[in-house]
Amino acid sequence: MPPGAVASNAVELAHAGKRYGRIEALKSIDLSIRSGEIFGLLGPNGAGKTTLIRLLTGSTAPTSGSAKILGQAPRSVRSQIGYMPQAPALYEDLSPRDNLRFFGRAHSIKSIESRIDELLDFSNLREREHDPVYAFSGGMKQRVSLACALVHRPRVLLLDEPTAGVDPRLRAEFWKHFRALAGAGATLLISTHQMDEAVLCDRLAVLSDGCVLACDTPRELLHRGRATIRVWRGAEVETTLVDNYRDALPGVLRPYNLDPSVTRIEIEQETMDHVVLSLIEARRNA
Amino acid sequence: MPDRTIAVARRVLRQLAHDRRFLGLSLLAPLLIIYVSKAALDSLNTGFFDVTRFVVPIGAFVVHFITYVLCAIVLVRERTAQTLARMFVNGYRQADIIGGYVLAYTCLATVQSLLVLGALSMLFHLAYPVATLLSIYLIIWLLAVISICLGIFVSNFARTEGQVFPFIPMVTVPGIFLSGLVIPVESLPRWAQWLSHATPLYYANQLVRQIIQPHATLAQNWPRLAALAAYGLVVLFLATGTLRESD
Repeated sequence: MPPGAVASNAVELAHAGKRYGRIEALKSIDLSIRSGEIFGLLGPNGAGKTTLIRLLTGSTAPTSGSAKILGQAPRSVRSQIGYMPQAPALYEDLSPRDNLRFFGRAHSIKSIESRIDELLDFSNLREREHDPVYAFSGGMKQRVSLACALVHRPRVLLLDEPTAGVDPRLRAEFWKHFRALAGAGATLLISTHQMDEAVLCDRLAVLSDGCVLACDTPRELLHRGRATIRVWRGAEVETTLVDNYRDALPGVLRPYNLDPSVTRIEIEQETMDHVVLSLIEARRNA
Repeated sequence: MPDRTIAVARRVLRQLAHDRRFLGLSLLAPLLIIYVSKAALDSLNTGFFDVTRFVVPIGAFVVHFITYVLCAIVLVRERTAQTLARMFVNGYRQADIIGGYVLAYTCLATVQSLLVLGALSMLFHLAYPVATLLSIYLIIWLLAVISICLGIFVSNFARTEGQVFPFIPMVTVPGIFLSGLVIPVESLPRWAQWLSHATPLYYANQLVRQIIQPHATLAQNWPRLAALAAYGLVVLFLATGTLRESD
C-alpha cells in the first residue's frame, strides 16, 4: 500500500454470487480491497471478471451476498466510482473533448473545461482534441475512455481490461498513470488476462468459473508455484520438482549442503502463467 | 429542466449535427414519400374519390412512421456500445436519458413537421385558413413527439439492433389499417375498434378529420387533443419506466 493511504477497505464483496438463469457467473465471492491499492483480477475469458465489475458498478445486483464500495451500495456512491468498460464505450462521432464534457456534466463539475484540459494533457490527446473519436486508433480510444473514467476524480476506479489491444509502449504508459493514481489515494480494480500486467498489481485474485482460486500479492502467488531444481555434479545432472518452492526449498537443498562434488545448482521458478494455469487445472480436476 | 437532461439533449443534438447524412436523409425521406403519395393519389382523383380527406392524414402518418423508425434504434445502439451502462454509472438516470433524447429529437421533429406541412400545402394546394394550417401543424408535431417516445419505448425491449426490426411493423401496420387512415374505424370489427385506440395515429386522424372541416377549431376539439397528449404522456412514462440499466 502506498504511504499515506488510509488503511480501510474501499471495496468489499461478501459471499457475492450472481446467477443468470441456469448459469452461475459468480459463486460466493469474498474479497476486500484496501484504499489506495491496485488490485488485479486475473482469469481466463468467461471467468466472471466482467460480472464482478458490473456488481461493483451497481449495473447488476448480486443474487446472493453483498457488494459494497466505500462501505455503501454501489448505486449510492456512484459519484465516487470511475468505470472503464471493456469496449471503449464512447460517442465515436464526437471529439474527446465532447465525450469528456458529456460524462463530466453528469457530476456537475464546476470548472469542467479546465478539468478537460488537464485530462487531455494527461492522456496526451491535446493535438487531437477536436477530431472525431472514430478516426482514432484502438490505443487512443482507450486513452479517451480512461480519461472519461477519471473526469470526476473518483476514489474508486473499476477498469475492465483497460489495456486490451494496446501496444506495449502505451501499456507501460497506462501503468505509470495507474501507479500515480494509486499514489494519490485512488483505489484501482483492474481486470486482465495478461500475466505480465498482473505482476504489477499490489494484490491479485485469480478467478476461474466464477470462483476465487487464490488471492495474494503477485510475489506470494509466484512462490506457490512449482520450481525445478537442477543439481550438477560435473556432467551429471539431478532434477527435482518441488511444489510451493519457497517452503520446500531449504529441505530440498539441505542434502547438497557442503557436498564438494556439487558444481552448480539451478532453480527455475514457474512463471505466473504456469501458476495460474496450475491453479485452474487443480480446480477443474477437483 | 434538470441539467443532466439538457446535457443528454445537447450531446444527442451534437451527434445529429455531426451525422449530416442521417440528418439530410431524415429530412428528405418524408418529402420523397409525400411526393410518391401525390403521384398515387393523383391517379385516384377521378371525381368519384375525394383525395383531399386523405392528404393531411397521410402527411401525419409519414411523420409518425419516419420518426418512430429513427428513434426505435437509438437506445439499442447505446446499449450495444456500452455507452448506456457508462451513462448510468456516471449518474445519469432513466428520466435524464429519456428526457434528453425526447428533447433532442423533438428539435428534429419540429423541422420535419414543418417541411411535411409545407410539402403537403405546395403539392396538394391545400386551401385551408392559416389557423387551420397552424392547428394541423400542432397535431403533426405532437404526433411526431409521441412517435419519438413510442420508438424509444420499443427500443427498450430490444437487446440488439436486429431485434428492433420486428417491432417496426408491429406498430406501423396496425397504424395504417386500424387508425382510420384507409378504412373507417366504424366499419371495423368491435375488437379491432378497441385495438385502434392503441395507435397514436387513431387520435391524430380523428383530430385532423375534424380540424379540416369548415369553421372547426382546435379549441372545439380539445377532448381529442387532450386524448392525443395523454397518449403521449403514457408512452413517455412507459419509456422511462422500462429503460433498464441491467439485463
